[in-house]
Amino acid sequence: MSQYTRDPDKCQMVQDDLAELALGILAGRERAEVLDHLESCAHCGAELESLSTAADTLLMLTPEIEPPLGFESRLSEKLREAAQRDRSRRFRRVSAFAIAAVLVAVLGFGVGVFVSNNGTGSPNRSVAAAPALAQLTSNGRVMGQVVISTDQPTWMFVTVDSAKLSGDVSCEVTLNNGQTLTVGWFNLSGDYSAWAARLTVSAAQVRSARIVAADGAVIASARLSV
Amino acid sequence: MRKRHGKDEGVSDETLLSGIAVGDEQAVLTFVRRYQRRLFGLAFGIVGDVGTAEDVAQEAFIRIVRHASVFDARRGSVTTWTLTITRNLAIDAVRIRRSIPVAPDDRVFLELVSVERQPEDTALAADAMTRVRIALSNLPMEQRRAVVLAAMYGRTAVEVAAVESIPLGTAKSRIRLGMAKLRETLVISESP
Repeated sequence: MSQYTRDPDKCQMVQDDLAELALGILAGRERAEVLDHLESCAHCGAELESLSTAADTLLMLTPEIEPPLGFESRLSEKLREAAQRDRSRRFRRVSAFAIAAVLVAVLGFGVGVFVSNNGTGSPNRSVAAAPALAQLTSNGRVMGQVVISTDQPTWMFVTVDSAKLSGDVSCEVTLNNGQTLTVGWFNLSGDYSAWAARLTVSAAQVRSARIVAADGAVIASARLSV
Repeated sequence: MRKRHGKDEGVSDETLLSGIAVGDEQAVLTFVRRYQRRLFGLAFGIVGDVGTAEDVAQEAFIRIVRHASVFDARRGSVTTWTLTITRNLAIDAVRIRRSIPVAPDDRVFLELVSVERQPEDTALAADAMTRVRIALSNLPMEQRRAVVLAAMYGRTAVEVAAVESIPLGTAKSRIRLGMAKLRETLVISESP
């Protein structure tokens, strides 16, 4: 499938749902279908962006209300606690990275076996359990990689290679049946982040994956193929 | 708390966020004092009680501090970014508390949907709030209610249909037409 081919019929179908997506109220299969279309249609992407801007701007009309006494001091305490949690989370992330690195290395060996067998002319594609892998991209720029093991249990590994990104993000996958699953949350910091999680579905069921910021914006996406 | 910080004036939101991103506590304090009334006001409008609204507004500030370094000015203003984070948290809080969302009947909702164009408002108004007020007041009341229910309270088309006692298709149409008109007015008023 060409990444930037415009399908006017599909665009027309999606137009009806764009406003609801911009408002954050579109769910389920409809949401998955629209997101899937947006990955390959810059025209509808621009439509969504302008509708989202209009939706967000509406919030400016809400009246200001003075918070209760002590709001600021209670917030300061929570910010201190959050900073401590973030520090310990970064430590756990380093441990998770070490585990993920070992597992990816093992899967990498699986890929090597798969390629090697083909290289010797063997037609048997089932010899090795090649993981599904795809690049995470944003506006055509490579941001990282997604790897999903084809063994049981299914593991998903995500690497994000960008110094410009940090903070908590979620990872969503869209299945072939249109269902969207949130795999989990992870933290981006520094030049390189890696993260691993178990999937409740097989690699063959996963059509695409997305990294989503806390405000719902899609940071990068990947189209999987096994 | 009630006293404005002296350094608040003149420092842009973007500059404050840059300071927050590198751990400047003074920038955090200034930002909190600048935005606490807006965030608390929005949270209270959606959740309807003071305690939950405070929790929501505080969690929003924590997320803003944590994600300050990824704010992208090309995707919108700091104000809409902070309000969107708060709105999403408030809607989550409501959904956790109530499995079936009910129609908001509070003062904030009624104020929002009854917004009217002021005599001094012009389509070329400089401030964003006036432009939005004009855009919303241009919508027929039924579209205004559907758009506000969705945009502020996170009601889905199915929920808007239930709240307004209308068919689902009508709810979806009102949302779609209202948003299209809203965008058109905002885009026109932002054109030179």
